[in-house]
Amino acid sequence: MSPLVTGVLIGVVTVVVLLSGVPVAVGLGVVAISFLLIFEGPSSLTLMAELFFGKLDDFTLLAIPMFIVMGAAIAASQAGADLYDALDRWLSKIPGGLVISNLGGCALFSALSGSSPATCAAIGKMGIPAMRERGFSDSLAAGAIAAGGTLGILIPPSITMIVYGIATETSIGRLFLAGVVPGLMLTTLFMMWALFATWRFGSAAVRERNVSYSWKERFQALPKVLPFLTIILAVVCVLYGGVATPSETAGVGAFLVIVLVMVIYRVWQPSALWKIMKDSTRESVMILFIIAASGLFSFMLSSLYVTQSLAELIVSLDAGRWVLMFFINIFLLVSGFFLPPVAVILMAAPILLPIITEAGFDPYWFAVVLTVNMEIGLITPPVGLNLYVINSIVPDIGLPQVLKGALPFMLCMVLGIILLCIFPQLATWLPNALMGVSQP
Amino acid sequence: MILSRFIAGVRKASEAAGILAAAMIGVSVLIVCHLVFTRYVLRSPTVWQTELVTYLLVGATLIGSPYVLKIGGHVSVDLLPHYLSADGKKRLAFIGSLAGIFFCGVLLWSGLDLWHEAWAGRWLSETVWAVPLFVPYAALPLGFGLMLLQYVADLAVLLRGEAETP
Repeated sequence: MSPLVTGVLIGVVTVVVLLSGVPVAVGLGVVAISFLLIFEGPSSLTLMAELFFGKLDDFTLLAIPMFIVMGAAIAASQAGADLYDALDRWLSKIPGGLVISNLGGCALFSALSGSSPATCAAIGKMGIPAMRERGFSDSLAAGAIAAGGTLGILIPPSITMIVYGIATETSIGRLFLAGVVPGLMLTTLFMMWALFATWRFGSAAVRERNVSYSWKERFQALPKVLPFLTIILAVVCVLYGGVATPSETAGVGAFLVIVLVMVIYRVWQPSALWKIMKDSTRESVMILFIIAASGLFSFMLSSLYVTQSLAELIVSLDAGRWVLMFFINIFLLVSGFFLPPVAVILMAAPILLPIITEAGFDPYWFAVVLTVNMEIGLITPPVGLNLYVINSIVPDIGLPQVLKGALPFMLCMVLGIILLCIFPQLATWLPNALMGVSQP
Repeated sequence: MILSRFIAGVRKASEAAGILAAAMIGVSVLIVCHLVFTRYVLRSPTVWQTELVTYLLVGATLIGSPYVLKIGGHVSVDLLPHYLSADGKKRLAFIGSLAGIFFCGVLLWSGLDLWHEAWAGRWLSETVWAVPLFVPYAALPLGFGLMLLQYVADLAVLLRGEAETP
């Protein structure tokens, strides 16, 4: 059997196994082990444990649980609500200001948590009921939070960017920086749509209702938010000043956030702290397990020469680089519909990266394009994680309503990808300016 | 009766494994702070911190996995079951459990092998700290062994449920 035929077979089997409801990590492992057993014999299986261990035995990976602890600590506190409240007070004068505050809250919270569902839940719990109360339509309210939440994996610190960095051996600091401007761009696109939708389809109540806050009230909202903004700023400075590695920064960040949450929000009860640790453990173990299992999977692919043959095939097709990029985008988009971002990145990035760099694309720019594709997958059925988060916050807004609200934001993201293709500098300018031009 | 005890026992063990894993992550946070303080404030070389937190990370992942399996925290995509009848769903879940048992079995066997070699050969990590490798490697058989048991317990629940509703 030629490696390419084997590859197609593996692809089909993997899709069926992963969609069958077995844990993604276990599915990847089972497919890897089965194909090795069939094509290489039982002797190749002795290596499995060592490969699994070796994949996890990496100090860089520590950034993942550390950032997750940091995000979980913030999510356990009232920080999301305070952030949202502060923004609302400051932006109350703008028409449609509330939806703008929500999107801004999502963007800021993303910079604290690195996770999309966490962002969705933290801002949405306050934001969606408030928006509905002030007359925004259900679908706009829910759609805005679903979409705003996806910024969590683009704006640094981002767990998926760390995973990409590990899968492709690229600099995590540079990846984080590459996500900043596109993150702000998407936030702006989202806000523009929200403003337009409020102006065009909003009820009169939304446009006329004027909640105003005095300057005193506005400043009163700040102190609770400032420490966290300071931590974000500190994390950013330490990371990009090249002072400490992402794992070190994340560890200290997690510690400081836990202390702040204990001091400011009085979350010091053992049960509350235990919940933070338990949630972080669940999330971290889940992601790290997929990373280790994908190590077995990519070992299997390269043992059977699938990776190499696939890369050769694509190069030999000699399609224009933008045709190639178009099909890669379609592939990522479709994969994102069905699989969690981490799984797509771990399976696709190591195979795609050599092809991408061969075609002259920047690996950091590609990370951003890939991430925006994954963001779209977060708000599309059947496995759009954010849709389910929204659904659990406001069960009375049906999934179709949420989807209807999220659709225009999806189009904003597609527009974002197109803009990124026309102006790659959006992603590459900041890292190049702060860290020097990358040497591919 | 014995089966119920087995299921309850495995669940307790998985819960305990989860607590251990959470503690490992919690301790890692503190060790990283110590590492940063030593390296950047005291400007002293660090000997054991980096290696220890890395092993804790591996340990937390492997030992925490049975717990995450128990609470259904390993992310999965149940698109196919969605289109199946109740019977079909059960059959698919049955096959899925067998696949999980197969995966854990292979890694348990290969992990035990590795652990035993490291023990018998007195392998040390190639660092200044020179850790006897059988210690971190023990997480492999422990984690996959318990995960295997958790899968068997889940399977038992699934089959028993089938027996109750004919």
